[in-house]
Amino acid sequence: MVTPAKTPASLRDAGPTSAVTRRRKPPPAQQSLALTPAAGTAPAAGLPRAAATRQLWLCLYLPGLPLAALQCAAAEPVDAVFDEQQGLRRILLATPAAAAAGVHPGLSVNAALALVPGLQLAARCPAREQRSLQRLAGWAERYTSFVVVEPPATLLLEIAASLRLFGGLQALRRQLLRELDSQGFAAQAAIAPTPLAATWLARAGQRRCIVRPDRLSGTLSTLPVACLDWPAAVTDALYGMGIRCIGDCLRLPRAGFARRFGAARLLQLDRALGRLPDPRDKYSLAERFCADRDLDEEQADSELLLRLCEQLLLQLERFLLARQLAVQRLQFVFYHLQEPATSLALGSARAERSMAQWLELLKIRFERVALPAPVISIRLRAGRGQPLTATSGRLGFAGEGRPGVPIAHLVERLAARVGERAVHGVATVAEHRPDYAWRLRRACDDTPRCRTEPHPGHAHRAPQLLADMRRTGSLLLQRPLWMLDAPAPLACRDGRPCYEGALELRSGPERIETGWWDEAGIARDYYVALNPAGVHLWVFRDRTGDGGWYLHGIFG
Amino acid sequence: MVAYAELHALSNFTFLKGASHPEELVETAAGLGYEALAVTDECSVSGIVRAHSAAKHGRLGKLIVGAEFQLQNGPKLVVLAQNHRGYARLCRLITSGRRAAGKGSYRLVPDDLADGLPDCLLLWVPDNRLTLDTNDYWIREAFATRLWIAVELHADGLEKLRLERLAVLGRQLGLPLVAAGDVHMHVRARRALQDTLTAIREGLTLERAGFALYPNGERYLRPRTQLARVYPRALLDESVCIAAAIDFSLDEIRYEYPRELVPHGATPAGYLRSLAEEGMRRRWPAGVPRKVTDLVEHELELIADLGYESYFLTVHDIVSYARSQGILCQGRGSAANSAVCFCLGITEVDPERMAMLVERFISRERNEPPDIDVDFEHERREEVIQYIYRKYGRERAALAATVICYRPRSALRDVGKVLGLSGLQVERLARSMQWWDGQQVDDSRVREAGLDPDSPVMQRLLWLTRQLIGFPRHLSQHVGGFVISNGPLAELVPVENAAMAERTVIQWEKDDLEELGLLKVDVLGLGMLTAIRRSFDLIRAFGGRDYTLANVPAEDPVVYDMICRGDTMGVFQIESRAQMAMLPRLRPRCYYDLVIEVAIIRPGPIQGDMVHPYLRRRNGEEKVEYPSDEVREVLSRTLGVPIFQEQVMQLAVVAAGFTPGEADRLRRAMAAWKRRGGLGPFEDKLIAGMRARGYEESFARQIFQQILGFGEYGFPESHSASFALLVYVSCWLKCHEPAAFVCALLNSQPMGFYSASQLTQDLRRHGVEVRPVDVNRSAWDASLERTANGSAALRLGLRQVKGLSADGARRLAVQRPAAGFRSVQQLAERSGLHRGELGALAAAGALASLDGHRHRARWTVAGIETPTPLITSFDRFEASPMLRRPSEGQDIVADYRSTGLSLGRHPLALLREQLLRRGYRSSQDLPRLASGRHLRVAGLVITRQRPGTASGVTFVTLEDEFGHVNLVVWKRIAERDRQVLLNARLMGVDGEVQTEGGVIHVIARRLRDHSTLLGELQVRSRDFH
Repeated sequence: MVTPAKTPASLRDAGPTSAVTRRRKPPPAQQSLALTPAAGTAPAAGLPRAAATRQLWLCLYLPGLPLAALQCAAAEPVDAVFDEQQGLRRILLATPAAAAAGVHPGLSVNAALALVPGLQLAARCPAREQRSLQRLAGWAERYTSFVVVEPPATLLLEIAASLRLFGGLQALRRQLLRELDSQGFAAQAAIAPTPLAATWLARAGQRRCIVRPDRLSGTLSTLPVACLDWPAAVTDALYGMGIRCIGDCLRLPRAGFARRFGAARLLQLDRALGRLPDPRDKYSLAERFCADRDLDEEQADSELLLRLCEQLLLQLERFLLARQLAVQRLQFVFYHLQEPATSLALGSARAERSMAQWLELLKIRFERVALPAPVISIRLRAGRGQPLTATSGRLGFAGEGRPGVPIAHLVERLAARVGERAVHGVATVAEHRPDYAWRLRRACDDTPRCRTEPHPGHAHRAPQLLADMRRTGSLLLQRPLWMLDAPAPLACRDGRPCYEGALELRSGPERIETGWWDEAGIARDYYVALNPAGVHLWVFRDRTGDGGWYLHGIFG
Repeated sequence: MVAYAELHALSNFTFLKGASHPEELVETAAGLGYEALAVTDECSVSGIVRAHSAAKHGRLGKLIVGAEFQLQNGPKLVVLAQNHRGYARLCRLITSGRRAAGKGSYRLVPDDLADGLPDCLLLWVPDNRLTLDTNDYWIREAFATRLWIAVELHADGLEKLRLERLAVLGRQLGLPLVAAGDVHMHVRARRALQDTLTAIREGLTLERAGFALYPNGERYLRPRTQLARVYPRALLDESVCIAAAIDFSLDEIRYEYPRELVPHGATPAGYLRSLAEEGMRRRWPAGVPRKVTDLVEHELELIADLGYESYFLTVHDIVSYARSQGILCQGRGSAANSAVCFCLGITEVDPERMAMLVERFISRERNEPPDIDVDFEHERREEVIQYIYRKYGRERAALAATVICYRPRSALRDVGKVLGLSGLQVERLARSMQWWDGQQVDDSRVREAGLDPDSPVMQRLLWLTRQLIGFPRHLSQHVGGFVISNGPLAELVPVENAAMAERTVIQWEKDDLEELGLLKVDVLGLGMLTAIRRSFDLIRAFGGRDYTLANVPAEDPVVYDMICRGDTMGVFQIESRAQMAMLPRLRPRCYYDLVIEVAIIRPGPIQGDMVHPYLRRRNGEEKVEYPSDEVREVLSRTLGVPIFQEQVMQLAVVAAGFTPGEADRLRRAMAAWKRRGGLGPFEDKLIAGMRARGYEESFARQIFQQILGFGEYGFPESHSASFALLVYVSCWLKCHEPAAFVCALLNSQPMGFYSASQLTQDLRRHGVEVRPVDVNRSAWDASLERTANGSAALRLGLRQVKGLSADGARRLAVQRPAAGFRSVQQLAERSGLHRGELGALAAAGALASLDGHRHRARWTVAGIETPTPLITSFDRFEASPMLRRPSEGQDIVADYRSTGLSLGRHPLALLREQLLRRGYRSSQDLPRLASGRHLRVAGLVITRQRPGTASGVTFVTLEDEFGHVNLVVWKRIAERDRQVLLNARLMGVDGEVQTEGGVIHVIARRLRDHSTLLGELQVRSRDFH
């Protein structure tokens, strides 16, 4: 039984930092302790020395990444990027020009706009930043086989082995920065024997190269605590105690430091100083399926080729299954000895991974494509993997009939046969203007759904639309099945419109005046009219201009 | 031509649906020759009073009161009040629907109509299915002979079908058909705005709004010829028949005062008299002067004539309750400064002190209800409100509403959004509508925002925005206007839920109540009353006299000396920069001077150019002349310059021949002319009237200009008189009990114009010691401590510590041992404060007595373990590190960051040397410089102010270690150095000294931002727009 008030020693031993404190005798009160190499005998001695093989890390810190990532992609130049925190939009970064006009990080978007009304702003896009960082990691791999990606904005390159190849430290660094610059990125680069030290130096904007581990502590000591990237609460607390630089931290008693700021931070300092190993994960590229099948000799037999393709598809299926992915696009490339390669792209209405579906599509395409020459090699390349969405099957109740071919498969097959651009669906649109009340929809939409689709709001869900139509009574309205592309003016005789004879107005008017908010506003009175030949027509009188009559549709 | 009455019309009080003001509907219907118009907003009668007054002053034959309801799981009905009883039913129905749902919505089910709504007529509005659901057959049974089928035809291509089917249905059900319009706007041209409102309501862009919009713009007040083409004659005739069967006007509404205030067997008049006499004896224990008894007698007579006894009794009751709870209060408003109110204790302004005539405030001819607003301590007003609810019940007491209307910025935002502009574009545009733009949206502002005002989208945006400005958007609660009635309030006006839980508001706002002669008592909160009561308490507890508002020594010349020096930081009303600057020139020497001072430094008199003539005359630089004796009588007390609202009205009566009723209408028009326009008829009448009475045209024009200047800001003398008392009392406290006064102000924050930092600096400049926050001495509130020589010193309270909760601080104070805490650990264990709050104490330097400097305290606190039920005490031995003592600058920075003030040296004292090197002088040097001299001066920016009246001038106050510098930044400079003006914390100025009447300003020529010198010092500027 522990009675804490009386036996503080036992409590101390039970504390989280016991591993460190237990080995030591209770220190005299005022002695400066622990973290400096001289005093840190016990903890440091118990730990493995920095890795046996000398490492040298070059850190590329990209403080301007949020802006640079956007500028690479955006069509218009971006002056500043903002992000949203607790509902407040604040400037995160600004170009030098914008900064000169007073647009500082931390300024609210409104204040920035008050300062520079024409400011081009964009929201921060972390996904895009990460893509940029990944891309840069791929680029950096040409300098070393060991690249580490440290989100949000840091790359670490282990360069000990590359120095000779690239002509030494300074030459390598210069080349890296130059190439970064040509890609539109600016980095702060620093070199140190441990990855953390390199990172902190880079964050502090120091261009220092530290090669020898024994120089580490001296240099790191001068860095401000702000470059440690610790949470604001921790740095604020440190600040409140008058601790400004890493050296100040190192002078603190180890146990007291760990108790206040966490043992993990203590370990971080140890790692940075090379007293603890700091293993890192190597960056590797995302996988995308691509497989080849080389043939021993040229083949023109389509049956055989299909069988080979089937094998490739089977490989793909296994690949996808293992990763719980599906793809919406495939590409087969058939290589010939003499002719340029033939490429066949396949798309489906939804993400698929079943080989059978793809094979069927391929067969349809194969029927229509004549290979210019025999094939020596086949490559199958899959598109972007998408997470698979499972569909539930149906219970086969009696009387429901044979489950037919899903419409999606029909569409795919049609598209494979006549080309994707020739297959459309028709969608209704909640709109009073007849010309806008429907639209064509691409059947095989393979591109990921873009946020700025022309009329996203018009993609009304069917039941909702029906309910709306019922509510507004538009289900009761008469609409012709055949609409003219553009209303055709009608001649008038004695004030009455004519179309192969004078028209008799049977019902109406149905007045439609709306759409004033774009350039296609209308104000029309629609009528159902009958001409002498007994044809029902949909005509209107334009209420805006001259009051002329137009034919808009034919009922039959 | 056929006759027609429109029985179904929505105004824009059906928020985001109706696209016309009620007045517009009424005027248009009258113009079209309609027999009648029913304004039937959805579950609301909010717009009806406006419609009523428009109908009264216009030519509309009959205005019908009604409302539209969409029942849950039921049909849509229009309910029209047939007579007064029907109106009460309608109000009850609306109330029950509104009370059953959250703010802004309603919920009614068929059961709510179970009583059959006698005395109401009903229209059933069929939906597009054009049949009556079998479930809804009850409506035929319930309303039998009072139910019609509304046939609403809007050229949607289905009229024929609709007419046929409804005719069949009518025959089947035995219900007559009537034509109705489902009107949403007064003219077709509002179609675009109506679509816009719909899109705003649905939260969609217009492009996406689809079927939420109407296909056409037929829902307007159609000319009768057109109606004749659309509807069968019989249906139109039926509408007229229905209208003829309705016999109700809002004029019939009779308000009754609560009766229970009068003891059994007494009459209101007798009871009021006895209360007044009792009060007289209390006020004048040595015998009531003859003059006072005469005055009270005269007033009682007047009150009796007008039947206002119950009103005075109601206010008296509320005030008595507050007094019994020790809540300080003070009445103001037209009737508040009567002798009767003084006797009843509603006001503390001694009528003898002012020689006021109650008729200045209540007039026999004007049938205007008396107006008494009562200010209570702002932190305790809620107690008074709860008392009113308790006493009268929620059935009979509710707050008046405030109609929140679209302003340029909100209109622009909403319209921009539905037109599909990006959030940023809209924001950019709305941003550029700076607060000084007035009510119009200006093309040049659009261009400034980088958009093209000539593009079609912008044209639409601006056109729609201009129309939308002024449209009501939702109902909110009035700050404190209570309506209390004798019967259930819900039969007088519907009551609905407010946003605040447990608050209910009626559907009418202040102007509506006034129009119908309903009485309201304003129960308002005033921070200064809290501060004054706290000062009194502190003085008493410190062994001083027991002061009240009534016994603070009057007319103390020392107090007036202080006021004349402009040494008024922290006092009531005359503490603003403009007021301070005016005091040395106005040199108030008596109570009535203060009354004028309060009223004259306001936007109204400043715009009407009354300040300078008054100043010149007061200083004897200009002769005072009166064109006639009548005018002399009205204006002599303000040296010939009309300063008060009452004077303008009196002038209109004596010089232009207005009747008192007309003068009252003039007053109301004055308050609203900027919003609604329309002083036109008054202008002609006023000038013609004065010309006819032999006044010169120029004098008449000048008076009219002054009336215009008054605008919305006109200040009644009665308010001014009440405020002046609080001004005097707060000045007296500042003068004689400065420590107690500032202590009370700090404990009543946030209030007033100045921050805790400025108040304490000012106090120290007046020689009072201010002591820092200390866990072993401070309570939550600031307190008074005795110094060695027996005077009072101010001890800052724990409330000053940012990040410390009131609960935690109180626990700390309760658990504190008599000898104080010994260690931080003991403090933590006893008080149970968690580490964050301990950190806040350490950051504030409040642990200095336990643990030395801040850095060490922070270290100690960070290592404190929170006690758990098992382990309650940690006395751990721990190595304590060497931590640097914070520098003076660091301490000051930390002081400001944590407590908002520092008792150390002023930050600028530390920077003084650097500033001197850059050629900056201090505020101390200003008085020695001649007017017109150039100088450079720098200081912390503590206020930025851009009054609407000052035509683009920004006033900035800078602070340094010696005092303040008042900066005037003209528009041109403000625009050029806008970035500095908006962002600088430490501002350097090149400028010119201007001295006038003892007041020193610096006119800025160039502004510089030296904030970097401050490092991390955070100084918050208070910005007033």
